[in-house]
Amino acid sequence: MLEDTIIAISTPLGYGGLGIVRLSGKKSLPIAKKMFKPKKSKAQIPPRQPILGNLYHFEQKEFFEEAYLTYLPSPHTYTREDVVEISCHGSPVILEEVVRLGIKAGARHAKPGEFTLRAFLSGRIDILQAEAINDIIQAPSYKQVKISFSQLEGSLSQKIASLRSQIILLLSQVEASIEFPEEGLRISAKQISKKMEKAIHDLKKLVESYDLGKTLSEGLTLAITGRKNVGKSTLFNSLLQKERAIVTPYPGTTRDYLCDKLNVNSSIFTLIDMAGLGSPLHLAEKEGIKRGKILASQADGVLLMLDASQGESTEDFKLIEKFKNKKTILLFNKIDLPQKINKKNVKSRAESLPALEISALKGTNLEKLKETIYEFFVPQQKQAEEVILHLRQKLLLEDILDCLIDGLRLLKEGHSEEIYAEEIRKTIPLIGQLTGEIRTDDIIENIFSRFCVGK
Amino acid sequence: MNFVDEYDVIVVGAGHAGCEAAYAASTMGLETCLITIHLETIAQMSCNPAIGGLAKGHLVREIDALGGIMGLLADETGIQFRLLNRSRGGAVQAPRAQSDKALYRLTMKNWLEKVPNLTLFQGVVTEILIKDKKVQGVKTLEGNRLLSKAVILTPGTFLNGLIHIGLHSYSAGRANEPASHELSENLKQLGLKSFRLKTGTPMRLHEQTIDWSRFTAQPGDKKPVPFSFRTQKDLKNQILCHIGYTNQKTHEVIKKNLDKSPLYSGKITGVGPRYCPSIEDKVVKFPHHQRHQFFLEPEGLETAEIYVNGISSSLPLEAQMEILKSIPGLDQAKILRPAYGIEYDAVAPTQLNHSLEAKNIKNLFLAGQINGTSGYEEAAAQGLMAGINASLRIKGRKHFILGRNEAYIGVLIDDLISKGVEEPYRLFTSRAEYRLLLRIDNADKRLTQYGYKYGLINEKDYEAYQKKQERIEKAMHFLQKERIIADNKEKLRLKDLLKKPEVKFKNVVEYKKFNGFLTDEEIRHVESEVKYEGYLKKQEKEIARIKKIEGEKIPENTNFRKIPGLTREVMEKLEEIRPQTIGEAKKIPGITPAAAMNLHIYLGIQKRKSEKGEMFHVKH
Repeated sequence: MLEDTIIAISTPLGYGGLGIVRLSGKKSLPIAKKMFKPKKSKAQIPPRQPILGNLYHFEQKEFFEEAYLTYLPSPHTYTREDVVEISCHGSPVILEEVVRLGIKAGARHAKPGEFTLRAFLSGRIDILQAEAINDIIQAPSYKQVKISFSQLEGSLSQKIASLRSQIILLLSQVEASIEFPEEGLRISAKQISKKMEKAIHDLKKLVESYDLGKTLSEGLTLAITGRKNVGKSTLFNSLLQKERAIVTPYPGTTRDYLCDKLNVNSSIFTLIDMAGLGSPLHLAEKEGIKRGKILASQADGVLLMLDASQGESTEDFKLIEKFKNKKTILLFNKIDLPQKINKKNVKSRAESLPALEISALKGTNLEKLKETIYEFFVPQQKQAEEVILHLRQKLLLEDILDCLIDGLRLLKEGHSEEIYAEEIRKTIPLIGQLTGEIRTDDIIENIFSRFCVGK
Repeated sequence: MNFVDEYDVIVVGAGHAGCEAAYAASTMGLETCLITIHLETIAQMSCNPAIGGLAKGHLVREIDALGGIMGLLADETGIQFRLLNRSRGGAVQAPRAQSDKALYRLTMKNWLEKVPNLTLFQGVVTEILIKDKKVQGVKTLEGNRLLSKAVILTPGTFLNGLIHIGLHSYSAGRANEPASHELSENLKQLGLKSFRLKTGTPMRLHEQTIDWSRFTAQPGDKKPVPFSFRTQKDLKNQILCHIGYTNQKTHEVIKKNLDKSPLYSGKITGVGPRYCPSIEDKVVKFPHHQRHQFFLEPEGLETAEIYVNGISSSLPLEAQMEILKSIPGLDQAKILRPAYGIEYDAVAPTQLNHSLEAKNIKNLFLAGQINGTSGYEEAAAQGLMAGINASLRIKGRKHFILGRNEAYIGVLIDDLISKGVEEPYRLFTSRAEYRLLLRIDNADKRLTQYGYKYGLINEKDYEAYQKKQERIEKAMHFLQKERIIADNKEKLRLKDLLKKPEVKFKNVVEYKKFNGFLTDEEIRHVESEVKYEGYLKKQEKEIARIKKIEGEKIPENTNFRKIPGLTREVMEKLEEIRPQTIGEAKKIPGITPAAAMNLHIYLGIQKRKSEKGEMFHVKH
């Protein structure tokens, strides 16, 4: 389909045990042959079979590396073009030299996402599948990879296809009654509104599952907040299991905020440590407190820490008041010390919030905390329900939902069939955009500019 | 030496497509010859005695707005008139009329005989004369040669027509009228690919053998709505139609006789229309239905023939009689003409340009059933467009193509040309993307300009059209400006009041007097414009957006072979024709919407790249 042959390193950048350079296009094999000589000299390279050989530097006329070559002839390949994969040691120097030689021999460096673009353009995969592949490449967590795989198999496509047929059925009933007024095909407004309500219900469920999708694909941000010296940085380090934040016995040690990834049950959170709230001692601390307040208010969730070895203060109460309507876990820290706080009193001010007693320093109850974080912040999906990973998909689903809601409203207000039919008709191309059947420029460009090189 | 004559345009076949084509070409000032196998069957309604209905009635209005004749003729010869979907909004209302078939035929012949520049001629065309891939004229069975600059082919079901009744079949274009084999063979030799289609027609019964008391009468409208914007006379309902149902017994008879059906025995290979199935199909495909509805429709005032709409069949005559026996009220009915199925050749319409001209033969135009459509109205619409385009071609003027956003005619032709057909194509309102825009009440507003421009609408009618627009404008202005105080003490524009689903124009003028006059037709127009306003505005924006994309320039140095996702065929077409805009590219046959979108995306990326100062082409 495309005239030129593209080449790129298709394993992640950096040192690895193994690296793969991939070619796709008509000239993949001739180009590869220029820089690869099989150990057992064969007249032809057999397809779909790794061949051991040496990489040949045709500029310096020398062999420089042992490698395997696999030739995958068109059309049963990812891009539906001829594909060659060369695997050798994962040194960036070697891999980049292989790519450079490939370009010398007639290939062109692949643009970001071009392999997947070719797969899409050749009709090999639909847009949903293309996006799912991107997720595998960039998945921050194993769980997301699993979701990506099931999506790749087209399960979301199926779900949307079924939604599509549901809507097509609905529309065809309305249309039939319009087109054949003489044939007694009239369907009652009540029947139609029932069907619309069902479709709206299903759509809402799909849209809601987006929240879970966000957790898994982007990771939620969790801010550790509380008064000064309650042990926020200690907790930060303990959870991450590394000395990331500087910890001293003195209040106000942390001035700027720190971020790091926290993995809980294969879900990724961005954990934020910040300056303690309270009257600042320096200008820098003041600025840190200001930033911390903003971060905490923007975070998806809050770990609100109190020092259990001290009596509760009005500042604590202020913080509880501030965060009790957010997704917040209450932490009574320093339970390894003599307890002064009146937990009952504190809890009574935030009855809906989960509360936990921990010692960040000794590591007491930290596993329990992780469990709580997971249960509290990761929305639990019911089995077989789909997860929507992308904002684009969510927005499209919401658009479809809006059309149906408008249609239902128009129907209930007593408007004529052709008017609310118009709303249902609008959803057909939108669903097409979801399944990639209708290709509009902005979608495609948006998707493929996000792909990393080589799948 | 055989007879030779010369014309500008020759139209082959005088059905609904041929008549419109010949009328348009001659009215546009071209010497035109309309050739038919049989002068008595000009404009014969081969199947049902009715014109119009949903989408079809829309087409007739559009034909009329462009200056065609079908609407005027349907009004002139109609014997019962109904506006369908009166309870729904204006966009899905359409007129339908029962016609007096014989009167329709006679009146058409009579009218065409009076048209200047138009010659009617009885003959069988066996060959299209071609030189250097360009039409020269036609040759008839007797060997006569008629020369012309353009030929419009409208042979209906006559190409290799094969009639089936039971397992018996015979060659015919219509019952007992000769089919055309030579012409079909000739078209194949000219390189036009054809395929088989199938359709059918029900039996005709004698009205005095029907027990009418067993059926429900269906009268016409109290206030008939004409097809034509130009019809002046009062329309009268002169007949009743009746509704009846088949029953379980009928279905048993049909099932028992399926082995004698040419459809189910595999004798018929052509594809039939899903939307107009034979009774055999209905019974087999919908086994849960206890009954199927049918209509008894008189074929005219001077005949006793009754058309049984809904029981088309190709079962043998004995089975047809048995079917009637099973239905109370028809049990004594006498069949005057048996139902039959017919197979015929159609030419794949993807071989035509949007002007309906064959791609590989210059000045050869095809219209009607030969392009895979069914229906008098679909045929007439194509005939009119072919007639106009053949004339424009001869005059050296630019072709006339209607967009999907302009007319149902545009939707129809674009569907045929860009998608092709697999079964006889019928128009539906749902095929239109802009259904609320393409209405019967604004067909003149959409199209009369064109009819006037091409000389098909005369000065007098055009003036009447302009006056009508002025009246409408005045009413729209009134609705926009005038306000009333609503229940909640707020001021409400009359227009917003009229937008409410239950409110009609007549309710609005109860609040404020309107110092103008509107006909019922014009009131329907005003109501639609107001009630659909929000949608119409959005659709206009959408249309403008598409127009913008279509106007996008394709740089001269574009290498079409570099564009990802295009098939070799598409690339070659683009390389060969080198369109200058996306719109032009879209019009190239074989360029799919997806391919055009790819082109658009590619150009967008290239443009952005060159703006960033990067290389335009990727280096090798």
